[in-house]
Amino acid sequence: MEHTPLLSMHNITKTFPGVLANDDVSFDVRNGEVHTLLGENGAGKSTLMKILFGLYKPDSGEIRLRGEVASITSPTSAIEQRVGMVHQHFMLVPTLTVAENVALGLTSSRGFRTDLDVVSDRITEISEQYGLSVDPEIDVWKLSVGERQRVEIIKALYRDAELLVLDEPTAVLTPQEVADLFVILRQMTDAGTGIIFISHKLHEVLELSDRITVLRNGRVTGHTTPAETSRQQLADMMVGREVKLAPDKPHVDLGLARLRLRNLSVKGDRGTMAVVDADLDVHAGEIVGIAGVSGNGQRELAETVAGLRPAEAGSSVSIDDVDLTTATPARTRAAGLSYVPEERMKDGAVGEFQVSENLLLINHAEARFRRGPLFDFAKIRDHCQELVDQFSVKTPSLATPTSSLSGGNIQKLIMARELESKPSVILAAQPTRGVDIGAAEYIHSQLVEQRNEGVAILMISEDLDEILGLADRIAVMFEGRIVKVVDRENATKEELGLAMAGAEVDA
Amino acid sequence: MKAKQLLKLLAALFAITLVAAACGSDTVEEVTEEAAEVVDEAMAETELTFALVAPSASDDVAFTQSMVDSLGRLGIEPQITDGTFVVEEAAAAIRGYAEDGVNVIVVHGTQYGGSLAEIAPDFPETSFIWGTATDTQGLDNVFAYYPEADQGGYVNGLIAGNLADGATIGVVGPVEAGDAVAYIEGFALGAAAAGSDTSIVYTGSFSDVALATTTAQAHVDNGVAALTGTSQSAVGAASIASANDLPWFGTQSNTEPWASDLTVASQVYHWDVVLADMIEMIEGGTLGGEAMQITLENGGLVMEFNDGFELDADLKAAADEAIAGIIAGDIATK
Amino acid sequence: MSEFFTISVLAATLGTAIRFAVPYLLAALGETIGQRSGVLNLGVDGTMLLGGFGAYYAVLKTDSHSLGILVGLGVGLLMGVVYAYVTVFLDAKQGISGIGIYLFGLGFSDLLFQELVGTPLPIRPLPTLDKLPVVGGLFEPLVEIEVIGPLLFDHNLLTYLAFLLVPAVTWLLMKTTFGMNVRAVGENPQAADSLGVSVAKTRFIAILMGSTLAGVAGATLSMQLAIFQHNLTNGIGFIAVALVYFGAWRPRWVMAGALLYGLVTATRIRWQSLGIIPQGASDVAAMAPAIITILALVLLASRVRGPAALTKPFSRH
Repeated sequence: MEHTPLLSMHNITKTFPGVLANDDVSFDVRNGEVHTLLGENGAGKSTLMKILFGLYKPDSGEIRLRGEVASITSPTSAIEQRVGMVHQHFMLVPTLTVAENVALGLTSSRGFRTDLDVVSDRITEISEQYGLSVDPEIDVWKLSVGERQRVEIIKALYRDAELLVLDEPTAVLTPQEVADLFVILRQMTDAGTGIIFISHKLHEVLELSDRITVLRNGRVTGHTTPAETSRQQLADMMVGREVKLAPDKPHVDLGLARLRLRNLSVKGDRGTMAVVDADLDVHAGEIVGIAGVSGNGQRELAETVAGLRPAEAGSSVSIDDVDLTTATPARTRAAGLSYVPEERMKDGAVGEFQVSENLLLINHAEARFRRGPLFDFAKIRDHCQELVDQFSVKTPSLATPTSSLSGGNIQKLIMARELESKPSVILAAQPTRGVDIGAAEYIHSQLVEQRNEGVAILMISEDLDEILGLADRIAVMFEGRIVKVVDRENATKEELGLAMAGAEVDA
Repeated sequence: MKAKQLLKLLAALFAITLVAAACGSDTVEEVTEEAAEVVDEAMAETELTFALVAPSASDDVAFTQSMVDSLGRLGIEPQITDGTFVVEEAAAAIRGYAEDGVNVIVVHGTQYGGSLAEIAPDFPETSFIWGTATDTQGLDNVFAYYPEADQGGYVNGLIAGNLADGATIGVVGPVEAGDAVAYIEGFALGAAAAGSDTSIVYTGSFSDVALATTTAQAHVDNGVAALTGTSQSAVGAASIASANDLPWFGTQSNTEPWASDLTVASQVYHWDVVLADMIEMIEGGTLGGEAMQITLENGGLVMEFNDGFELDADLKAAADEAIAGIIAGDIATK
Repeated sequence: MSEFFTISVLAATLGTAIRFAVPYLLAALGETIGQRSGVLNLGVDGTMLLGGFGAYYAVLKTDSHSLGILVGLGVGLLMGVVYAYVTVFLDAKQGISGIGIYLFGLGFSDLLFQELVGTPLPIRPLPTLDKLPVVGGLFEPLVEIEVIGPLLFDHNLLTYLAFLLVPAVTWLLMKTTFGMNVRAVGENPQAADSLGVSVAKTRFIAILMGSTLAGVAGATLSMQLAIFQHNLTNGIGFIAVALVYFGAWRPRWVMAGALLYGLVTATRIRWQSLGIIPQGASDVAAMAPAIITILALVLLASRVRGPAALTKPFSRH
């Protein structure tokens, strides 16, 4: 009997018109283990979880909880059966306190009146038990992202969740917060909770999981454990072919410095200095990676280079010796810059626009797309189709609203648009954040190809693996300053990590 | 499906309400038999068609009703667009009537002057009668009319001052413009002649009854001995007079319905006096170009005393004397 | 100026301010509940008009103030059911639906008034609302206290009800499970839904409460004035909506706004009657209440953000 799993999903099949979302999927979770569901976007993870929470009804298959066939008809009934979920986008009410968020939807012991003191006491108990320190009286909007996630976990624990699903829980966390989260999750499994961990960050999966189930195109492609596998194997299982986690980089002779930053100082949104005295050259034929924990001035630096944010007096930004310190985005582009922004849906593309419109966002005024004063739609269609094919953007049609594409495909669309102008400098901020491995691999290969052709590339990334895999030189930002610049051959992960945490400043 | 049906039902309900509301306010007051008899032969045979555009309701016991009643006394049943506080709506109505070929359009509101200056030149065959206004804006198809409201104001003020016996009298004015100012200033002069002060407050609105009521109550708190007010919002002030047993003085129309036992006298606008002249001129081919006043002398301003209020005979005599004095030009009311 | 700063004039001015503020306060408190649940009701003025006419007509026919209040309450509730059904279950746009409610109230109240009454008739010889026996009797000894007595203890029952509703609404919103649900669905309905809180039910009830208070506000207005006429409210309902915004959705601030609006109005009337504001400046003075109130509230309460889901219909997909 002790081997009865907490949850078992047997032979789940679910079809949507034209799509086989889950094809005979089986997996189980035992008390006290972390079972990872690994797969690309569209592999069937979220369909499977929606079935678990009663939002979809499977065409066939059954769900058993603690050995009994379970009927889960809604998230509320899941909660009643002690199954909890921490959503990737937090389900919290920012203007309510922690205790109120936890108490929401529960029956009060005082009937019509709230019993928040009782709730707070219980929260404190749970906090102490699992090391989830958080003040129950505080308004949620005052909390950091990591703390909010703890509130989500407390919400589930408060409802006696025995099985907890965490959907991409590390996507929004800093490395330190990820480490804290893992400690908490371990304490929970030690207390007997079963955890389903959904992620595509391979090193995290290997670090945390007891067992791993890999999904691809709605089907289980493998059950494994961290001891039996490796990053490379997991990536291959996810994508279904051999993946290059780090692209091949042939040797290229460095050219002249194309992008030059001198004494660059920039104010942030709150009026304080976000970038201080940054000096950096990016040469033709190299990729310079800027590493750092987010919020250390990377975003402001990128926006200034792109002409979106004014620099302080005494700063200088130039491309191919053209001074662009006070240039508009249009002039910056004319000087040869292509910009792949960090917030792709906010700054990179217009969600409501069609794929073709986003592809033409910058150069639609050019003579080649016009016939007299009017658009030449036939030419535009040919041009866009060519880009979509060349960059393998997966879209139902050119007229599809861009917001309905996956993150990876939107990023490929932006890359297609930005590279089409034959830039001399590419500024890419977080180019593969939230993007599938397959798409990331493709984006990386495109960046390397541009480098090989003599383009100067400045890449900003929080993902140290990405920086180490792609960059020729690495600059580390901490509190607005470039605290370390090192060639890739001489860089180690440990050293960079220390610099990112500010160790170089004191040295 | 259910949702759609409900929406349709709601839409229909809204439409019915709006149409019904429009019809309701279009109903012209039935012309009294008495008034019908006054109509002279020439008027009865008139072939002219009439329309009236006015800001408040036809039965507001104030400004708009004074015109509806005056036209009624001439046997005229105009097409009416009333309740058009919004000037744009009034302008649309004026233009609409002109396009429909109505011969004479009574544009009853100073605030419509700007629109009229734009519309009138487009319809040189149409005659516009506009007031209250002291001039025709130089347009030769516009007649203007104006009440010398200070005259009745003086008479009311004189009576009020005597009744108050030296105490202050409260005045609730609407917007500080037009005949309201004339009435109130005349009233203040009359009260002063009888040795009483007036406390004057303009609410800033012709229609805000709540504010007029609050203002009148503030007057009462200050210990006023009588109240008067003008515009259709004055009903609020009249109700405060009646709740506090204070004498009330009306103007524009007879305000007895508002405060039946306490209305002492009302200065009533009989526009028909000047309207008859204007219509005669229109029939003679002159479509405008003249401004006419109604006064106590020409019978356009009529002091109506309320039989229900026991006014001292001496006081009534003094009032009649003042009226005669004003007509004779012996008493200055400005 | 000096004659204004006498105790009796100041007290009388405050008294006017309090009485004047009551319909604004009632309507704005109701709207606060609705908006905290994420639903904007621009139809407050229309609901006030219909509730106001209903109450007026009831009192005109039966001489019963209690019945007047009940009718106002009932009318508000009915209008609330219509508005809630349209916005919560049919997901209609809140802005335009509210305007629809307003136009309906404006037109229908006028139609009923024209058909059933005809011309503005002051309700007489009824005792005015101020002399309602229940309050007069209860507070009679207290009213005798100089200055403060009349100021605090000589108002009608509805005035006390309105001000008692301020802590009551605060309590409802902050200390009850229903209030917590209201705040949650006004801020993040998805989150509330994921925990089994019915967004539709919560909003429906919040709208009903708000609309009922609007009906009572209209009844209070017409009964205090003892008059009804076309467009009696003259935009009070819209000012009430503005008070909710500028009062940052907090009952205390909303009350402060209503009182300030009343106080500035009362002060300018008093100043005009005392000749402190010269003749000729009356139109400028008439704008003062709105401008001063909005400025004050913007300065004091502007830092607070409104409910994030305000005016956004909720659906699961």
